[in-house]
Amino acid sequence: MGIYDFTVKTNRGVEKSLADYKDKVLLIVNTASKCGFTPQFEGLQKLYDAYKDKGLEILGFPCNQFAAQDPGSNEEIQTFCKLNYGVKFQIFEKGDVRGENAQPLFKYLVAQKKFTGFDESSPMTPILMDALQKNFPEYLKGDDIKWNFTKFLIDRKGNVVARFEPMITPESIAKDIEALL
Amino acid sequence: MVKVYSITQCPWCDKAKKYLTSKGVEFEVRNIEENEDYAKECAQISGDTMVPVITEDGKNFVLGFDKAKIDAMLGI
Repeated sequence: MGIYDFTVKTNRGVEKSLADYKDKVLLIVNTASKCGFTPQFEGLQKLYDAYKDKGLEILGFPCNQFAAQDPGSNEEIQTFCKLNYGVKFQIFEKGDVRGENAQPLFKYLVAQKKFTGFDESSPMTPILMDALQKNFPEYLKGDDIKWNFTKFLIDRKGNVVARFEPMITPESIAKDIEALL
Repeated sequence: MVKVYSITQCPWCDKAKKYLTSKGVEFEVRNIEENEDYAKECAQISGDTMVPVITEDGKNFVLGFDKAKIDAMLGI
């Protein structure tokens, strides 16, 4: 079983085989709410703009399993949501990315690249650890996805070569992508 | 007929729809995530892919859940 054996559905319900992405470098990301404070979308779109022509594809999988934030909490700032978060790369159907009902693709990804801890130097790490311990202590165990914006990098042959935890920004993995292009 | 362009899982779209219902305004929901034609229409009206977009004539519109602007546009 390899990455190209999986079939997923786009956000418009169209079936898509990952075999269609053979010979591309892939960044697979579990994304968050369409409405909240989701700054990594901008960074991901920048990566896509910079490397799309060289063979990068970004695949976003929305998931509500980490919805600790009330969508209403940004009320003063914005009162709208945005289709596909305003990004141009492919967004897929919403689904679970961890636990028993996780999409098979994500079960495969976490088996290929296990959880090796968070980046201790990131200012986001203590905040995320606190949120996890308070709301989802069981999420800290095992290799499953810990939070929104976990990123898996796949080379042109379909090998899962890296896993980046949520606090690793899109900007900071540009060099890892470049190395595969 | 008032049209509300929206996407699935959009709390602001839900609020806008509830508000219109509470004011007795009949409206048609056009989901731009599920329907590409609606997506094009919405982009023509507002120039973007943000929702909710509320419009009656397809020209004047309110983007986002803004009660005052909705009231003014619809005269309610």
